[in-house]
Amino acid sequence: MNHEFIHRERHLKRIQATIAGMPSLSTTVVKVLETCNDPRASANSLKQVISLDPVLTGRVLKLINSAYYALGKPITSLTRAIIMLGVNTVKNLALSFAILKNMQGNGTFHAFTTDEFWLHCLCVGVVAKSLAAFKGLMPAEQEEYFVAGLLHDLGKIPLNKQFAEEYYQVWESAGRKQDPFYHWEDRLLGIDHCKVGSMIAQKWHLGSSLVESLSHHHDPDECTEKNRDLVSVVSLANLIAIDLKIGTAGDRLVDKGLLVDLSAKVGVDYSKLSNFQESVGKEIDRAKIFLEIAQKG
Amino acid sequence: MILKFWGVRGSIPSPGPNTVKYGGNTLCLELRLPDQERLIIFDAGSGIRELGDSLSADNGNKGCLNADIFLTHTHLDHILGLPFFAPIHNPGTRLKIYGPVTCEEDPLEEVIGGQLSYRYFPIRQHELGADIEYIDLMEGKYNLGRGITLIAKYLNHPLLALGYRVEYRDKVLCTAYDTEPFYNVFCTDTSDASFDEILASEGSRAAREENRRMEEFFKDADLLIHDGQYTQSEYENAKRGWGHSPIEYVVEAAKRAKVKRLAICHHDPLRTDCQLDELSQVYVNEEYAGGMKVFFAREGQEVEI
Ligand SMILES: [Zn+2]
Ligand SMILES: [Zn+2]
Repeated sequence: MNHEFIHRERHLKRIQATIAGMPSLSTTVVKVLETCNDPRASANSLKQVISLDPVLTGRVLKLINSAYYALGKPITSLTRAIIMLGVNTVKNLALSFAILKNMQGNGTFHAFTTDEFWLHCLCVGVVAKSLAAFKGLMPAEQEEYFVAGLLHDLGKIPLNKQFAEEYYQVWESAGRKQDPFYHWEDRLLGIDHCKVGSMIAQKWHLGSSLVESLSHHHDPDECTEKNRDLVSVVSLANLIAIDLKIGTAGDRLVDKGLLVDLSAKVGVDYSKLSNFQESVGKEIDRAKIFLEIAQKG
Repeated sequence: MILKFWGVRGSIPSPGPNTVKYGGNTLCLELRLPDQERLIIFDAGSGIRELGDSLSADNGNKGCLNADIFLTHTHLDHILGLPFFAPIHNPGTRLKIYGPVTCEEDPLEEVIGGQLSYRYFPIRQHELGADIEYIDLMEGKYNLGRGITLIAKYLNHPLLALGYRVEYRDKVLCTAYDTEPFYNVFCTDTSDASFDEILASEGSRAAREENRRMEEFFKDADLLIHDGQYTQSEYENAKRGWGHSPIEYVVEAAKRAKVKRLAICHHDPLRTDCQLDELSQVYVNEEYAGGMKVFFAREGQEVEI
């Protein structure tokens, strides 16, 4: 018991160290560098490139929320964050976390590639936004849903980075037993990406809605009432993304029963979900073309 | 309250025959409260050197000074005077230095205190006589004790910068420099290929709301000390995004917020005394300012609030 405790403490230290220096994803880094080094790059393209990277989006929100605190509600919209911070500050921030050497080695996942992980995050963001639009939410709220989806799996980055070998075991065991991925994270590492995600969101002052969507996207019923809608949508978007097989971040199977239940809770007809497929696919293709990785797959 | 301007210039100290009247030192303000020993200083630009010398002279042999220094941000023109602020070399001086966190993860102590390293200055931070405590600030309301309330407000500058509102016995002093009006940075030209309707409208809405919050921040101030580095045409032609305000906009915003007196500061280093006098002719004028008193701040000037 005591031994386990020490083990866990040591794990936490390593995870915290990774959070502090977590760089942008290798998938977006070339475009980030290109955009941010171009003095004439417009705010529109800056927003577009940042919004394709969960780490950079989180970092931009962290920067504004470490100083700004209107009415006790943190900023969860990238649009507003860029207005507040200004284009140059955002470029400067992005440049300091877009690290080219992250392209190879260290940062990549063994179980699945960084490109697949990126695709999964983006897909969950896009689906969450579509669901929000479907529910009739305003554009500003839709953006919060997008951000919550994009960031939901941030907790996997430090785990993969610090425990690459074990993380591969997690992936293998979860696949063999057809168990949820996060169960095996907890079993083999003593902590899962939901807890790590929650640590990141708290440390970055991202506010309760993002803290809860990072920590409860696998158990939306556990979150507080005021964020229940958002977290349920992110949770559903995650299942849909897995079901559509767009990218992967560990989980390969979807419990259909859960999918039907959650759809009902969110208020969308399960049979209509396939309607999303086309528009989501289109939006993701646009992103790939923007990043010029279409050829890579 | 009595406010004294020890430095009103922006960007870089600008001595010389053209800045004799308004002064060439960069920003530093001294605030004294009646019946209190308390000293509050805003910013440590080059103006803080003379403030420090005057304090040393006043204190004579006593040598103890207790002061709070509120830094608006950590751009060089607002911190470069600190090593030359004589009281930091006296044992017995107790300073609290407050300021916003910067882009990097470094704490205020390193960002400001970093000037006191051997490569920049012969006396190192840990060799200083004074007892200095650094406190990171963000937006919010702070109780400074003895009936003084301080509100810190996020400004629009290329680096995180704060404006301060001090409330004491029904009197209000506000600072809002270095800042410019929030504006929509996203494309609003419908014929442009990158035009995005949602982004364009959300961007304008955010800018409008933030500008409204800004005016609420200095609402009813007895004295507002505001950035006015540029004229409207200078601003529009080349200076948008530099983090400084056009005078015309500031006067209008202050009028809307029912400010009683407006001091324009952070004068451009290239602005001569003659030019500032000319600008005064235009803006320091009851008719233009709708009853609000406007003046271009001068080094050494004292204002009773
Ligand atoms: Zn300045
Ligand atoms: Zn500045």
